[in-house]
Amino acid sequence: MECRDMIILIHEYLDGDTDELTNQHLQTHMKTCVSCRQHMHELQRAIAFVQSASHIHVSPDFTARVLAQLPVETKKNLFSGWLRRHPFLTAAAVFLCLMTGSLCANWFDRDNILQVSSAHMDKLKIDRERNVVVVPAGTSIDGDLVVRNGDVEVQGQVKGNVVAIEGKVFVASTAQVAGNTESIEAIVDWIWYEVKNIGNDLLPVLP
Amino acid sequence: MELVEKRLTQRAKNGDREAFAELIEIYKDKIFQLAYRIVGNRQDAEDIAQETFLRVYANLHTYDESYKFSTWIYRIATNLCIDRGRKKRSDFSLDEETEAGQGMDWYSRLSSSERTPEDKVVTQELQETVQDALSHLQPKYRSIMILRYIEDLSLQEISDIVKLPVTTIKTRIHRGREALRSKLRLM
Repeated sequence: MECRDMIILIHEYLDGDTDELTNQHLQTHMKTCVSCRQHMHELQRAIAFVQSASHIHVSPDFTARVLAQLPVETKKNLFSGWLRRHPFLTAAAVFLCLMTGSLCANWFDRDNILQVSSAHMDKLKIDRERNVVVVPAGTSIDGDLVVRNGDVEVQGQVKGNVVAIEGKVFVASTAQVAGNTESIEAIVDWIWYEVKNIGNDLLPVLP
Repeated sequence: MELVEKRLTQRAKNGDREAFAELIEIYKDKIFQLAYRIVGNRQDAEDIAQETFLRVYANLHTYDESYKFSTWIYRIATNLCIDRGRKKRSDFSLDEETEAGQGMDWYSRLSSSERTPEDKVVTQELQETVQDALSHLQPKYRSIMILRYIEDLSLQEISDIVKLPVTTIKTRIHRGREALRSKLRLM
């Protein structure tokens, strides 16, 4: 092999890319070839020389100076930083905003017609003049009873919640209500009621 | 070490300045060294090192954690050095305000930028010789030789930093070594 090829091998050797066999080959050659030996020696010297000169330090107040130049965190930065760091909470906040909006819309959109929702409409007595829904004595209703734009008078039994939206719940002494009775007359109550419903639907195991 | 850095960058990302200060402490000398060896004078090198950390801070949220932090910061510093080298030296004056514009000019920097006595005695002469040899290399060889033999990085990491294939890095190192050899053998 010629010395020119050897120089290439020497560089590969210096990069740690040669195998055992090549190393031996290289050594055998350099035992006899003065110029290649010299070349290798000079390269190693150049490397050692560059490596030896690596003791230099930045001025001692460098860190403090950099820190002093960092931008002050503005309120906006803080806020957007917070949003970036808490994607889940951000999503929850957006969701809450939209929910509240749609709930409020529901509240303002409704009309004044008496609405009743129950599994046993046939057992209820509806007094249109007084705008009252009556659960007559001796009857028993499974599930919730929800009335809008009217009052509820419970004389019998309800195995669930009784809710009057924009109305009152009257409970007679003979009445038995398994769940809660609730009158919702203000928007805040309305939102709270809806949120509680969502909560109850999502967490059915909790009392 | 890498785990520590990962945690520090994570904290710094979340706005923790103490964590960022620790990152500066770990890298300030390495970055300064790199810049000094490439540009050849302390003031420019400190300026570049400072700018490097400010950029790191400003871009922390874009830092891709699949890379090593060192690769990222070396890349920013190397690019700043190259940009600095392209700029004309003539537009640089001592009366010019520093980039942050905090009323400091270059005169006020001079005092803090002097070599420490220990540096002076031990290595000044050696450094000047090495610096002279390095400054005669072409810039594209110089930065890679510095990354390899002064910063002591692997070929792979250098390839990641300058975004060139390992084979190209090898070629440049071979030529850089030859150039240094012929420069130093005359001494």
